[in-house]
Amino acid sequence: MNAQADVMFDANSAALEARGLMKYFGEQCVLNQINLSIPSGSVVGLIGCNGAGKSTLIRCLLGLMTHDAGDCMVFGENSLRLSDNNKARIGYVPQQPDALGWLNVRQMLDFVSGFYPRWDHAFVAASIARWNINASTLLSKLSPGERQRIAVLRAMAYHPELLVLDEPAAALDPVARRELLRDIATRAADCGTTVLFSTHIVSDLERVASDIVFVHEKNLLLQMSMDDIKEHTLCLRLSPESASHLSGKVPGEISRRRHQNSGISIVIKREQNQEWPAICHAPGIRRENLSLEDLFIEVAQ
Amino acid sequence: MDASLFLIQPAAAEPIYRQMVQQTRRLIAGGQLVAGDSLPSVRDVAAHHAINPMTVSKAYSLLEMEGLLERQRGKGMVVAAQRLRMKSQSARLDLIDPSIQALANQSRELELPASVVIDRLKEFLEKLK
Repeated sequence: MNAQADVMFDANSAALEARGLMKYFGEQCVLNQINLSIPSGSVVGLIGCNGAGKSTLIRCLLGLMTHDAGDCMVFGENSLRLSDNNKARIGYVPQQPDALGWLNVRQMLDFVSGFYPRWDHAFVAASIARWNINASTLLSKLSPGERQRIAVLRAMAYHPELLVLDEPAAALDPVARRELLRDIATRAADCGTTVLFSTHIVSDLERVASDIVFVHEKNLLLQMSMDDIKEHTLCLRLSPESASHLSGKVPGEISRRRHQNSGISIVIKREQNQEWPAICHAPGIRRENLSLEDLFIEVAQ
Repeated sequence: MDASLFLIQPAAAEPIYRQMVQQTRRLIAGGQLVAGDSLPSVRDVAAHHAINPMTVSKAYSLLEMEGLLERQRGKGMVVAAQRLRMKSQSARLDLIDPSIQALANQSRELELPASVVIDRLKEFLEKLK
């Protein structure tokens, strides 16, 4: 009866969700009150500095790691008690995929394919051929980039409804990276696959992501659609003169950075259908549209 | 038309769906796309440029609402028949406004007098002839 209720709930629920998620390593808090909801069918990019908690967040969301407070859910079901049925709907690639290193590529794929009735043999064969990877190479002997590609291939081969990739592009060259993005875009188009992937290569996200989640110093700083980031955020650059007249926060302020010349840059956000605040038009203040990379640097410094 | 029709600059300040809308408007206004021409499918554009399919759908829907495109059974999105095949000059001028606005902003930041900027613009236009 419970399983039935979950399925019913599933239709309207987020693919991944965290409510009040807290995680400590010993005394140290690494994730603080994370509330996050990833709707089905979205392609979400997870960004943040090294050590911001991206991998920990991913592992907690999927129930691969216990958390200290709050709830994590996959397809509306508690992550720590996932049914086998729901587990089979998830494809996950860790940052360093090093499982089954004693098998060669073909043996590993044959072995894993046995677990999944929906295994796409044609997709696997076509990818291996395209990449020119020798299928009788031991996994442990592959280059880091090849290893990563094979791991992503394994995760995509059974057409999961939710694909979670922890820095899938880190070891890839630009051509391989573009191909990976293309695979993600195609899956999203053909199957409505929900994708969550973390990366430092923000230009990749500007291409393929529908939404951005920004984790900064253990907090979730921002969850916004990619288009909203471009249309509803702005960087104001204040000369030292106008900076000295500024008192208090600017409406919609996300972050503030003081420069060496004692000028200030402030990132602000406006709501849908809202005008920019009056200060944007004041003399001595320059408005700048932000690329995702600019935003990252403004907010993270 | 194939998906290379669009020139996508992911890092530009302008969101990708807007780039597609602007480019389509210009292609139609300039006559490179004519009534009945099919646009590449959402999937083809998404796969070719490795961009999010929802972004492509969003651009097409906006163009459909504007009346520039229409959904045709079996052919996907095609350029709509009537209206603005060759728009009036003022309508075409409206399309270039965003670029002129950007030019004006930058000219002011660089404290360049209008006459100098206009002369330079004329030079560039001459070169195209």
